[in-house]
Amino acid sequence: MRALKGKRAVIVGGGSGGIIAANLLAEDGMDVTLVTDNQYHFFQPANLFIAFRGDPAEKYTRNVSELLNPKVRLRVERAKRVDLGNRTIFTESGIKIDYDYLVVAAGARLDYDSLPGLRETREMYGDYYSTPQSAAKVWETVKGLQVGKFVIAVPDLIIKCPPAPHKGTFLAASYFKREGRSVEVELLYPSPHIYTEAELAKTVEEKMRTFGNITFRTSFMIDSIDVEKKTVISMSGEEVKYDAIVSIPFHKGPDIEFEPSNVKDDDSFIKVDKNKLNIIGYDDSYAIGDCTNAPTSKTGVAAHLGAFTVWKRINGENAKYSGRTNCPMITEDEAIFVISDYEHKPVRQRFSKLKRLMEDIFVAMYFPSLRYPKRFEPIFDAYFKATEPEVLGERGW
Amino acid sequence: MGEKKLVDARGMACPGPIAKLTRAYREAKNGDIIEILATDQGFIPDIKSWVESTGNKLLELGQDGSGVIRAVIEVTAKK
Ligand SMILES: Cc1cc2nc3c(=O)[nH]c(=O)nc-3n(C[C@H](O)[C@H](O)[C@H](O)COP(=O)(O)OP(=O)(O)OC[C@H]3O[C@@H](n4cnc5c(N)ncnc54)[C@H](O)[C@@H]3O)c2cc1C
Repeated sequence: MRALKGKRAVIVGGGSGGIIAANLLAEDGMDVTLVTDNQYHFFQPANLFIAFRGDPAEKYTRNVSELLNPKVRLRVERAKRVDLGNRTIFTESGIKIDYDYLVVAAGARLDYDSLPGLRETREMYGDYYSTPQSAAKVWETVKGLQVGKFVIAVPDLIIKCPPAPHKGTFLAASYFKREGRSVEVELLYPSPHIYTEAELAKTVEEKMRTFGNITFRTSFMIDSIDVEKKTVISMSGEEVKYDAIVSIPFHKGPDIEFEPSNVKDDDSFIKVDKNKLNIIGYDDSYAIGDCTNAPTSKTGVAAHLGAFTVWKRINGENAKYSGRTNCPMITEDEAIFVISDYEHKPVRQRFSKLKRLMEDIFVAMYFPSLRYPKRFEPIFDAYFKATEPEVLGERGW
Repeated sequence: MGEKKLVDARGMACPGPIAKLTRAYREAKNGDIIEILATDQGFIPDIKSWVESTGNKLLELGQDGSGVIRAVIEVTAKK
């Protein structure tokens, strides 16, 4: 154990990764400041329940301050610039904060401007990637659609929770079926199978076929959305008409300037050592979760495991992040988990009701596990160990 | 002559190399050449089927002794 008492840690971002990291380090007696640009924390996976089940947004929204150990100093402000060499960050209002250790957990920045029609259709029909309010707009759209075609459009695959477009497809299709409406749900997807990994895609495809009201197109590269004609146009000129559309935005790294600037890649993601999670070239600064260029899916689990890895490393342990992911793909009553790491592609999965129940348990544990990460760790640890890709292996789960 | 682009998707398992390729393809224009390096074995059938269904041209596809897969694509199908 290093003597950390009184050392200064600055955490940027009040999402899953930042809150867990702040709470862990505060318990070590460090002087922790969390800088975040939003006083609220949203449980993002629940956007699906808001969008397709009409759940109230408040149920999944908390003040960041409620989720923090009272010893953490909270500053609700945008971090503007980080000077890695001088160990200093500058906020938008010009405040300068020095640190001994830095953890950037600023998430992904959503971009609605890289594709014509994306911003306009978001305003018209909502989306479930940005805010609970925009997800509530999707619910209005879904409730109001009596007949026709509901399109879920995926222009790009470097996105949070890669199964989330499929979750939306399943939940929308269930809703329309239950209501007895003649609405077809069509998923437009850029990769050659309906999930990025071929074996898993077979399982997903089979499940989609059982619905009867789900269709999909693969290798569909979206060029633009024509709002007037209510048509999605592919790069090769194929056209798909819709009555309502919900698209997944592009994801970029955060809007923070770094000195030196070459720690960011072309899409502004922060370059890290994929196992140690330190920002390339620095051993006192880390980045975790969706804001990094680590070659794994952008998931809450990666942010959670990243926070623990960094906490241990700051404590002098040689902890490493394995690239582990765990993304649930749910229908109303069944689920699979997309489980992979740097060394293993997603393991085979079978849909089951028990996994759906596990997902409900994870949702119930979410807020307390941010506030008291150490208390919940034995449970997560047991789960992660039992479901390592290495353990599940070829036979899948 | 089009431009040449290199997409390094080595070490990408989830999401796979196609995720990186689609980003590069979005920026490209007809006549451009995209070269992709990958280590995910699933990439071999995936790239064949992606190129075929999007109507582009696969100029080369091979794997070297260390397992690195190299695909070269000519962009031809953009409208
Ligand atoms: C629809 C949907 C479903 C999902 N489902 C799942 C799931 O089932 N399982 C799963 O594991 N993951 C899921 N995810 C992904 C998961 O929500 C994210 O991966 C996770 O929130 C990442 O945590 P993070 O801490 O890296 O970033 P975030 O939680 O996004 O937090 C980033 C924080 O940084 C703040 N910030 C940004 N820029 C600045 C700045 N310049 N200065 C200060 N603060 C800043 C933001 O306000 C935010 O508070 C889902 C995501 C979506 C959208």
